[in-house]
Amino acid sequence: MRCAIMSFAHVHAEGYLHNLRANPAVEFIGFADEDADRGRHFAGQTGARWFPTYGALIAEKPDGVIICSENAHHRALAEMAAAAGIHVLSEKPLATTPEDAQAMVQACERAGVTLMTAFPMRFSAPTIEAKKVLDSGALGTVYGCNTTNQGQLPRLHSAYPRDWFTDPTLAGGGAATDHTVHVADLLRWYFQSEVTEVYAELNHIFYQEPGVNVETGGLVMLTFANGAFASIDCSWSRPPHYPTWGGLTMELVGEGGLVIVDPFRQVMSIYAQGAARPAWSYWGSNANQAMVDEFVAAVQEQRAPAVTGHDGLKAVEIVAAVYRSAAAHQPVTLPLS
Amino acid sequence: MLRVGIVGAGFMGAYHTAGWSKTPVELVGFHSLNQGQIDQLIAQYGGRTFATLDALLDAVDVVDICTPTHLHYEMVLQAAAKGKHIVCEKPLARTAEQGEALVAACRQAGVTLLVAHVVRFFPEYAQAKAIVERGEIGRVGVVRLKRVSFQPKRPEDNWFLDVAKSGGMILDLMIHDLDYARWVAGEVESVFAKSVRSARPGAPGDYALAILRHRDGALSHVEGGWAYPPPMFRTSLEIAGDGGLIEHPAGSSTALSVHLMAREEGGAPDIAVPRSPLLEDPYVVEIKHFYEVLAHGVTPRVSAEDGLAALKLALAAIESTQTGQPVSL
Repeated sequence: MRCAIMSFAHVHAEGYLHNLRANPAVEFIGFADEDADRGRHFAGQTGARWFPTYGALIAEKPDGVIICSENAHHRALAEMAAAAGIHVLSEKPLATTPEDAQAMVQACERAGVTLMTAFPMRFSAPTIEAKKVLDSGALGTVYGCNTTNQGQLPRLHSAYPRDWFTDPTLAGGGAATDHTVHVADLLRWYFQSEVTEVYAELNHIFYQEPGVNVETGGLVMLTFANGAFASIDCSWSRPPHYPTWGGLTMELVGEGGLVIVDPFRQVMSIYAQGAARPAWSYWGSNANQAMVDEFVAAVQEQRAPAVTGHDGLKAVEIVAAVYRSAAAHQPVTLPLS
Repeated sequence: MLRVGIVGAGFMGAYHTAGWSKTPVELVGFHSLNQGQIDQLIAQYGGRTFATLDALLDAVDVVDICTPTHLHYEMVLQAAAKGKHIVCEKPLARTAEQGEALVAACRQAGVTLLVAHVVRFFPEYAQAKAIVERGEIGRVGVVRLKRVSFQPKRPEDNWFLDVAKSGGMILDLMIHDLDYARWVAGEVESVFAKSVRSARPGAPGDYALAILRHRDGALSHVEGGWAYPPPMFRTSLEIAGDGGLIEHPAGSSTALSVHLMAREEGGAPDIAVPRSPLLEDPYVVEIKHFYEVLAHGVTPRVSAEDGLAALKLALAAIESTQTGQPVSL
């Protein structure tokens, strides 16, 4: 399967490039980026072929692409790929509005190509084992979930300047856009139930610095059709000197007791001489690789991927409800009217 | 010498008595419906039994009320009417109106009313507050607090589970962290909460999550529950500021673990209390501080007004779980 990456705007692009190269069924043909400086930079860093326009890449007729553009551009690139009959794995959030996400789903359906949303946490070994515990019925009825997906300011994760994460037009928002969707998707998967109500409070106290024009702190409360409620702390509340980028945790409390899921806890602490600060070194399994492998397998086997465009759309609807709720300080019901 | 009497000789009464025994007061005695419990405390700490609250009040300068929540109102009023200083277990009262009336009555009577929000005296919580006060983590953005244990048991009269008496888990347990959130991040503008009590009225456990918006923009997330398998009890504390972060995850400070070859099932205690080996128990620190307030006029770490505000916060959280709407304060 011939694969490529559309845009290196997102900090995950380097990782996905590595994942594509590591998949024996994939012939990685390169990446397109219309930002010439960024294109040249990452071509030099990765040794990958750089296409200066998306058209030039499409002309090479890849079978599948991973879209790593700014969130607001996912739709245009997905539509371009779908029109050319190319399968799509899109970085999350699928889009910055439910309308755009819906258009992506429809474009790919119409073209008969796969649309997968990049929710790697579905491929994390600890979250998969937790799903098995829930499916076994051991926890019984789930009462509520206390979850976090906290992080640093995303641009701190990239040596190359990627400031668009804090531009409301290109990113769609800040911490709530970036860090609500993973947990929301996991819980939809765990419960096989949709979110019916969203309440959110957002603030901007962390990272009050030039170019950061979005919320950096947020607490979200979801209510599911099955009666369970779940809070998500989506804040970029980890300081620059934190030993890792952030994390994702879920504590599920139910009739049968407690399940704690802490997939990024598989770390050891490193106190290296010469390092400015202690660091946590992750040794757990590579969920991103498993996710890219699933995209490739789903396309090759002509079946739906484990995480679909529809899943991405549902998460985008939840994010839209988060902003609506936070603006009104009132709970908002889903589906949105 | 300050004369102190204890009302209610149960679980909390025993903790407070142990605290008073470390202060230079005269422990005059006890009033309780449970003579067996009084006898145990007298054997250990001295003092005598008072058949009525009135009789005890006549013999003391300070009364420490450790009775079930629904009894606080009448007892505090009675003590204030006799001009006695009062230490009262949290929550201050069962309703906001009662709480208001108690604060007013004590002010009018010129007596000190101290509400025993003991979490402010736990060393990790006190230290985190001090770190915030010193500005070490900058302006507070998001506070996260956890306090979940198992359902309290009692051999008889399990008033904890009787909402009319205790107010339920939110008023009895979650109030600790609602008080702490307000202490650390300031006055609260609104509370939104979800509870299994409202979502699934028949559920055997109790569990709730609350989101607080503070006046100066900070947010707090408070988790409380009687839902864990016994004897599990977890608390945690996190305060994120624009200049740094305080992290204290559940179980991260276990200074002593004892794992013995099984002899027989020890079982869980009736009521859970978070414990870490300390030379001075937080309840003793609390009572010693109350002694300093009463004997030497030290400013109380937790005022009557703080106790009232915590009560109102907890009641607002309960109201939100029932109406499904955020409640403004």
